[in-house]
Amino acid sequence: MKQNTLSYKVKQYLMFAGPGTILFLAVVIIPFLYGLYLTLTSWDGVSAVKPFVGFDNFAAAFSDVDYWHAMGRTVIYSAISVVLINVVAFALAYLVTKGIKGQNFFRAGFFVPNLIGGIVLGYIWKFVFNRAFVAIASAISGGSAPSLLSTTNGAMFCLILVSVWQYAGYMMLIYVAGFMSVSADVKEAAMIDGCNSSQAMWNVTIPLMRASFVQCIFLSITRCFVVYDVNLSLTNGEPFNSSVMAAMHVYNQAFTYKNYGLGQAEALILFIVCAVVGVTQVMIGKRGEVAA
Amino acid sequence: MKKRILATLLSALLILSLAACGGGGAAEGGEGGEGGEGTTITIFNSKMEIQSQMEEMAAKYSEEKGVTVEVYYSSDTVAAHLSTRYASNEPYTLSMVDAKDVYALAAEHALDLSDQDWVKDTTQAITIDGKTYGFPVCVEARGIIYNADAIKNATGNDFDPTSIKTTEDFQALVDACKAGGMESPTGVMKEDWSLGAHFLAEVYEQQEDPDAFIAGIKDGSIVLADDPKFNAMMDTFDVLKDNNYAKDAAISAEREVTEQKLAEGEIAFMFGGNWDWSVINAYDYTENMGMMPVPNDSNDGTNEKLVGGGSKYFFIDSSENTSEAQQQAAKDFLNWLVYDEEGQDFVVNQCALVPAYSNITLAVADPLSASVKSYSDSGALVPNYNYLPDDHYAKIGASFQKYLAGEVDRAGFAQEITDYWATAEVGAH
Repeated sequence: MKQNTLSYKVKQYLMFAGPGTILFLAVVIIPFLYGLYLTLTSWDGVSAVKPFVGFDNFAAAFSDVDYWHAMGRTVIYSAISVVLINVVAFALAYLVTKGIKGQNFFRAGFFVPNLIGGIVLGYIWKFVFNRAFVAIASAISGGSAPSLLSTTNGAMFCLILVSVWQYAGYMMLIYVAGFMSVSADVKEAAMIDGCNSSQAMWNVTIPLMRASFVQCIFLSITRCFVVYDVNLSLTNGEPFNSSVMAAMHVYNQAFTYKNYGLGQAEALILFIVCAVVGVTQVMIGKRGEVAA
Repeated sequence: MKKRILATLLSALLILSLAACGGGGAAEGGEGGEGGEGTTITIFNSKMEIQSQMEEMAAKYSEEKGVTVEVYYSSDTVAAHLSTRYASNEPYTLSMVDAKDVYALAAEHALDLSDQDWVKDTTQAITIDGKTYGFPVCVEARGIIYNADAIKNATGNDFDPTSIKTTEDFQALVDACKAGGMESPTGVMKEDWSLGAHFLAEVYEQQEDPDAFIAGIKDGSIVLADDPKFNAMMDTFDVLKDNNYAKDAAISAEREVTEQKLAEGEIAFMFGGNWDWSVINAYDYTENMGMMPVPNDSNDGTNEKLVGGGSKYFFIDSSENTSEAQQQAAKDFLNWLVYDEEGQDFVVNQCALVPAYSNITLAVADPLSASVKSYSDSGALVPNYNYLPDDHYAKIGASFQKYLAGEVDRAGFAQEITDYWATAEVGAH
């Protein structure tokens, strides 16, 4: 049988990638296109008719003050979280590749938070913030201390803390792999050439680990931008809707306030913002990548 | 060659099995077409606390009536959940929804029930353009929940809820409780639905004409900050707020903790509704509790009435996905709830709901519902205003939380409400 005919190639493709393609089309591409169509309607999510309104939803999305507040909050939250997640993850990875006693145990331990689902994790931390911390603070100050979750900045702080705790272990694994991929030879060569250990870290190890950084930063940016589960279970937007992130606002807009079309339009904007930030970061990161 | 035949056969078989699935589904849907026997009806329950009772009832009802009843529950937003069922052409025969959902869905999805017997026995059914669509499941009302034992312990006197009518009366009672050793006699639920949809909504509901009142806020002819009802209600709220056991951390007070303190008599007052009993009865509650109207300085009689009415409505699906036999079985079921002794027993005793039908005389067991029933029986209920926009509770609730936390003053709060109404529209009715 000839192997370079079109029909052979199509058959081969269908045989191996066909099921995957169909599933991908069915659960990603088609809903995405359908979602695009819904942004042009004023559908309420329930009714049988979907009145066509053109680009009204986008105009409404751009003038939705609450949405842009939520978006601003998400950007601040993401910026701080991404930096902290990666700093902590890198530090942990450094510690558990140095050959300290029981490092496999520590690796597993730091990774565990990532295995707990976001919803459960949020409820656990809510208890810690509302009860445990309050009890400790009250005991120290002698009065009744308010919970961190009851203040605007406090709620944001809690969200960031929990996200860092959740993701640092996961990113740590990628950094561990990065550390392991840098061969001892180059480090040794650098030391012989007169580097001290921090110079070797800055000038040899980290540049060689660039791929890990690109990957980790990309993952943490995209995850932080669309955070929903921790937001829901830890603060649920409280106090006074000051911790509503963009994704939660989109959900409320579409399902709770029953403006499905508007919610969908806002989701699309969130997607574009997230994609632009993520892709830019990867492009910049890839540009200077070096291979060992 | 052999292999190819085998492959063709196999794929043909697969396609067949898929086709068979589709066919099976269609056949199942049409099954109920013939008559009462063998009909299956599906019920969507949106009251989580009665789900196990509903399931037991369904099993029993199925056995006795020969109609298979299936009960489903979802914790999703009601409208969002139903929309997925409509999208897949599998609507529930009977759906239990909130009043606002009936207004949103009835035109397209609900069966006209105007000819049913129960319509004349209730004042709470939902009628749109002269047609009755919504069957009220129960009556629920809002007011101040009090713990009479706790009050007696603190003040030494028996508590008579009808003696408290004005903010001043209430303040005096709270002060007396404090003098008697109760440190902080009130609790405030910080949930946005409690503040926004339940407490603040009373400001609209207690107006003579809520529609006109809201229209007045919108066009500026009514200045909310100067409105006597708004100020009267907020004065009472201030008493609740200033004597709150969690005054310093009002915004992180947990509902369960507040209700536990109320149940056990550590505090004596909380704004809530008879549904709070399902939380209170989880704790070691004292015997004499009840509900009273929110005291406020007014002479329109609203401070002697609870606010509430029908809560949770059944409607029957009118689409072609529900056969006539199913619709008839659903109607029979609703009649069973109202007129059959077992049905009445189910509503009142097993689910502990306040019935919305005047022919049901069974006594309600839990004290909060008993209060609601006595107010309801004597006509002392201010009706719910069911047409607030969907985002009202969340947005106004957030503003109210700011007020509770002391981030805005009353004028600022009134301004935020006015700003909200500048763009919001009440639902069609």
